[in-house]
Amino acid sequence: MSTTFWVWFGIGLYMAAGLGIALMARRQLGAGVSDFFLANRKLGGFISALSYSATTYSAFMMIGLVGLTYFTGVGALGFELTYLCGMFMMVFFLPRFWLVGKKYGYISPMELLSDRYQNRGVGATAAILALVFLVPYGAVQLMGVGLLMNGISGGAIPVVAGIIIAVVCAIAWSSIAGLRSVAWTDAFQAIIMIVVSAAVLGVVINALGGFGSFFDKLESAVPGLLTVPTAGGSWNLNMFIGLALPWLFFLISNPQVSQRLFIPKSVTAMKQMLGGFLIFGFIYTLISVLWGFGATLLVPGLENADLATPNLLALPIIPMGLAIVVMIGITAAAISTIDSILLTLSSVWARDIHKGLINRKVSEKGELRVGQWVIPIMAIIAFLFALWVAEKPGLDFMIATLSSAASAGLLMAVPTIFGAFFWKRGTALGAMVSMIVGAIIVLVFQLTGWKPLGWWPGVWGFVVCLPLFVIVSLATRPPKEKAEEFIGYLKGALKKGRFI
Amino acid sequence: MTKTAWAWVWFGFLLALDIAIPWYVLTSVEKVNAAFLFWTIWVLAAIASAFFIFLKWREVKP
Repeated sequence: MSTTFWVWFGIGLYMAAGLGIALMARRQLGAGVSDFFLANRKLGGFISALSYSATTYSAFMMIGLVGLTYFTGVGALGFELTYLCGMFMMVFFLPRFWLVGKKYGYISPMELLSDRYQNRGVGATAAILALVFLVPYGAVQLMGVGLLMNGISGGAIPVVAGIIIAVVCAIAWSSIAGLRSVAWTDAFQAIIMIVVSAAVLGVVINALGGFGSFFDKLESAVPGLLTVPTAGGSWNLNMFIGLALPWLFFLISNPQVSQRLFIPKSVTAMKQMLGGFLIFGFIYTLISVLWGFGATLLVPGLENADLATPNLLALPIIPMGLAIVVMIGITAAAISTIDSILLTLSSVWARDIHKGLINRKVSEKGELRVGQWVIPIMAIIAFLFALWVAEKPGLDFMIATLSSAASAGLLMAVPTIFGAFFWKRGTALGAMVSMIVGAIIVLVFQLTGWKPLGWWPGVWGFVVCLPLFVIVSLATRPPKEKAEEFIGYLKGALKKGRFI
Repeated sequence: MTKTAWAWVWFGFLLALDIAIPWYVLTSVEKVNAAFLFWTIWVLAAIASAFFIFLKWREVKP
């Protein structure tokens, strides 16, 4: 039977397993928005860790990061590990989000901001930021699946078919039981992701004569890729900071992951979630980068770096069965991210825009219905964006670059989030002005490709929005009572749990 | 300084190393035992310090 048949067979099996898990999760679905969007804040540590890992690590890793390493070398490792180092900030933010989430019953991170700054406009502004900038990030996942299926099947499966499969799965798994189906399918997918990617790395390293020989070959064949700035000029410090800065604050700027800080059922579950994720992230990052280096030796000379993974998997040294399982693993990585994005965006729309601005008296049932309608609508928008991007060549449309560009926009909410937890003097106007002006700068610079002084759009946006937040806040009146109560509560609760 | 302040200083120090070592100290060393090894060990230090802090957390009821 042909490769195409087995590819379709594997996809069918994967979809059936995912559907089965999602339907099992539905049996535990209760009523209300908290249950649908946050699994009633009762997820255990193991599922939380795997779900957080699968949501964070997407097609970006096994396609985008592999391509970036292939194309630009060790700087890609530094860039991705800078994100993981940024996870150190979880020791500050995880207990804070979790404590106030339980106490005040927040559904979305934006609702937290609205309440803390005592202004619904703050949450709505952050929500619009998320809706605008998460679409490209979601689209990147779809594009990754399309490219991969097309590559593995030797072009027999069109890119658009892969994209449609990803859209259908993401809509189904986020709609069936909300966060419960997302988290359960995420956990299933995280296990596939790490096991199969490690298996392929083993085959690649073995084909290159073991680790020692692999590293020797790298040093002799592509020595320029082992240093920064790269000899060919593909990595320079501005690019590194431009890509790494948005990634550094990913844990709080991206609502699909910061919303997860509300869900662990206990402190023990929080610890398991954080520890499990750090270990998963370290292993998965190293595997992805080593794949990229392996591809530079085994399939040199590709023009589109995002095709490094499909070409690597098409080599005769990779058994067809393993290549298909890996394809499913990467598809899983992409879908586990996009379904979380869809679910978060639907909660953000329902809570922070519909209930916050449009219809304040909407019932809980009505709010939930609105959120469920938003899921397919956002999926279709991401689908159309993916179709458009898939036709664009060059570095600006590489998966890694697009992913980081999306986070550059979300970075503009970071001063507001820091202010909420650490600065009583922060005000709603300071928050809104800094987010709006910063986002406009990022959008304009990204669309025009303008990089004054060589600085990337996210850096310019951040350099402007941070002082704006401080200056406008100092010039306006803060919500003193709420700030005292919110930060005062945290001070006491943090001490009790030996948090810092 | 409080424990929280120390943790922020440590984090800032890690970020300073992220730029200083690979981009200025190891910049012309085209070996696996250079930037690649540095970043691997550096992030392990960040992960270990996070474990050191969060393993002390204890159960609370918000």
